[in-house]
Amino acid sequence: MAMKRRTTILVALGLAAAVILVLWKPTVLIYGVQQAGLYAAIAIPMGLVLGIVHIVNLAHGEFMMVAAYATYFACTASGMDPLLAIVPAAAVTAAFGWVVFRLTIRRALKAPELNQLILTFGIGIAMSQGINLLFSSQTRKISLDYVSSSLDIGELSFGTWSFVFVAVAILYAYGLKFFLTKTTTGKAAMAVGQNPRGAAIVGIDVDRTYGLVFALALALVGAMGALFLTKSAIFPGVGAPFTMKSFCLVAMAGVGNIPGILGASVLLGVSESFLRAFRETRGWADIVFFVLIIAVILGRSLKWRKS
Amino acid sequence: MNRNLARILAVVAGVLAVTLPALVGAYPLQVARNIMMYMALAITWDMLLRSGQISFGIAGLFGLGAYASILGVLRGGMPSWLSIPFAAIFSGAAAFLIGLAILRLRSTYFSIVTMALGEIFRIVIHNLHDFTGGPEGVVLQGVILGGDAGKLYWLTLAGLAVALGASFWFEKSKFHFALTAIRNNETSAKSSGVNIFNWLLLTFVITSAIQGMLGGIFVQSYGFATPDTVFSADFTLLPLAIALLGGIHSTVGPILGAILLGLAAEWLKLQIPYGHLIVYGIIIIIVILFMPQGLLGLARKTVRAADRRKP
Amino acid sequence: MTKLKTKGLTRRFMGLVAVNNVSFTMDEGEILGIIGPNGAGKTTFINLVSGIIMPSEGKIEYKGRDITYLPAHERARMGIARTYQLIHPLENLSLIENVMVGSIFARGNGLKAARAKSTELCGELGLKDLDRDTSRLTILEIKKMEIARALANEPEVLFLDEVMAGLNADETKDLIATVQKIAKERKLAVGVVEHVMGVIRELTHRVIVLEAGELIAEGPYEEVSKNPRVVEAYLGGAA
Repeated sequence: MAMKRRTTILVALGLAAAVILVLWKPTVLIYGVQQAGLYAAIAIPMGLVLGIVHIVNLAHGEFMMVAAYATYFACTASGMDPLLAIVPAAAVTAAFGWVVFRLTIRRALKAPELNQLILTFGIGIAMSQGINLLFSSQTRKISLDYVSSSLDIGELSFGTWSFVFVAVAILYAYGLKFFLTKTTTGKAAMAVGQNPRGAAIVGIDVDRTYGLVFALALALVGAMGALFLTKSAIFPGVGAPFTMKSFCLVAMAGVGNIPGILGASVLLGVSESFLRAFRETRGWADIVFFVLIIAVILGRSLKWRKS
Repeated sequence: MNRNLARILAVVAGVLAVTLPALVGAYPLQVARNIMMYMALAITWDMLLRSGQISFGIAGLFGLGAYASILGVLRGGMPSWLSIPFAAIFSGAAAFLIGLAILRLRSTYFSIVTMALGEIFRIVIHNLHDFTGGPEGVVLQGVILGGDAGKLYWLTLAGLAVALGASFWFEKSKFHFALTAIRNNETSAKSSGVNIFNWLLLTFVITSAIQGMLGGIFVQSYGFATPDTVFSADFTLLPLAIALLGGIHSTVGPILGAILLGLAAEWLKLQIPYGHLIVYGIIIIIVILFMPQGLLGLARKTVRAADRRKP
Repeated sequence: MTKLKTKGLTRRFMGLVAVNNVSFTMDEGEILGIIGPNGAGKTTFINLVSGIIMPSEGKIEYKGRDITYLPAHERARMGIARTYQLIHPLENLSLIENVMVGSIFARGNGLKAARAKSTELCGELGLKDLDRDTSRLTILEIKKMEIARALANEPEVLFLDEVMAGLNADETKDLIATVQKIAKERKLAVGVVEHVMGVIRELTHRVIVLEAGELIAEGPYEEVSKNPRVVEAYLGGAA
């Protein structure tokens, strides 16, 4: 099948690039993969929602940001380590998201796609501006010792904490794959995603499934918010770039292709890392996702024209 | 609304608008300028919305025009007044290239790419900082028209007039048919001979050019540009909230919304220094959920309901 | 004179063959029925010919010119038109404005000329009160508006996609007569997709039958309706 051939070519190219990098500038590959993990872990929940509830949540990054803020205040107040906050953060974000979903997004599901876009955009603004209002735009950070852990291999020295993002991304990808293909709830969710009317006829509660999937996705995002806090500074606008990069990755992988997001994120992460490695190109790293999404759009529209 | 009554009101409003500098002082004129700026941006956003495409990139094209204008003067030696149409052309050209790349896949893809525009342009300006002045921004020798409050007001009014004119033209010409047909049902529009891609590209270019022009007016009126000020989220958020609240798919709606929200914005800025934008986010949410046709739509529904009750 | 011709027209969707190797012609002045059981590929076929989707294989020729990969709006300008089964009336344009779209964009008329021509067209179809909101139209009026919209292209080939669905006996008679008159006056080649066999019998000169994407029979209705393979397609075999 053409699909398999294309994937093989891509993988071969990727391996070739990886080998070149390892020999020439290994830190680019290492930091790129770590960043890829971060991006993928945040993008995968967006892919889940898009694939099953069929909406693009423009407030996606903001949910992560809010989770990070909540974790920040909980941890600075109680002295707790953010890692312990991961599960509570996930739970709280899921609950919060579920409430937002039922109050607002659910109403817009039957409305035109445009209304949904505007709605989630408004929700994102309300969240980021709400945080701005409450806590000002000052950046906040928690300093932790373990995040500066590093490994020395010969002349090579690099930080290792961020590999945790890679682990989480892989966990999310394959955990969700298992959930969606092997559990009853998951299979029902897949059915709803592919054919909501058919699923309803068969007796699946479509409404409840939507709420559940949305809450699940936000739980994953919330967990990432806590984890994100360990390494990075947070400010009200920290979530927005993740929304856009997540969409870019989901678009590159194709809707419904969650493992594909891993591959796409490696491309994005390593490209950014490559540009960051050189002083002249450092500032251009954040444009990579834009170039990639334009490439995806151009590629898709050319393919569509031919078919 | 009765045709003649509407015409009379329009004339009165026009006369009032033009003679305002003779009637009020500098501060009210400044508020009026802000309102007109947001009104014009809201109108251009609505013009594209009529085709069914949502742009979240108003700030991006506005800011791009602002930089084109100020750099045109500082680096290109242009006279200030010329830099404003130059800004329009620059933003229009940028929109042309972007539209060429992304308008074949519409709605969500288009909207999200526009969302990224402000950030992308900001990054470009940061990186080319020898030419653009980077994050610290650039300053003009002097403000256009000598900084005279009345003249700056009229300049902005002229910009608004362009936006209003374009919007009315869109309502009365083939644009109305093309954009509405595309918005209603692209497949049907295609079968009636509408070249969807061309019309969308043209609309995107025209509205972006006007947004760029307004950016030029803005930057010339204040005499300086920094990435944070000209690419501010205000310039995307407020026009959206204004058009939604007033009533989308019309010229009158954004006018109404701008007057209401523009005055409220001035007051809000004084009350809540940080995060006053949350109000606009909430307005957007409430309008899109409960009154998607805006105040104008509500008014129309009330009139229609009253009509039906007549014997 | 042959207006429209397809050769081996095929369209696949991810392993499913929706239209399979269909070759047919449509001549000026003839009304062709396109029938077949549900899912036979009739609408896909019309979508291919009108340019809404592109074929996987095969050729489409219009007045001798190869239009296989031409975009829909260009085919509209060349003279191919079709109706759609509207689910929602289009609210943002009035009745006359809906009709005008084709006149403006497929024929390139100015707004005034388009309005005049569309008004005349609506008159021919028996539509009144043309400035009405489309949310207040009866089913018959919606169907007539849709036909007017297609005719505003001033086409030479017209496809009517189940325009008789949902009409009562009188309305159906009315519409059949209208279609016949218009087809004759304008010397159109008309393709009619219908489920109501009575309409096919009265309206069409010739019929083609699709089943599972394939053309299985062709000829006047009287013949085709007795064709055992056609009968089996409708009654026996898969649901």
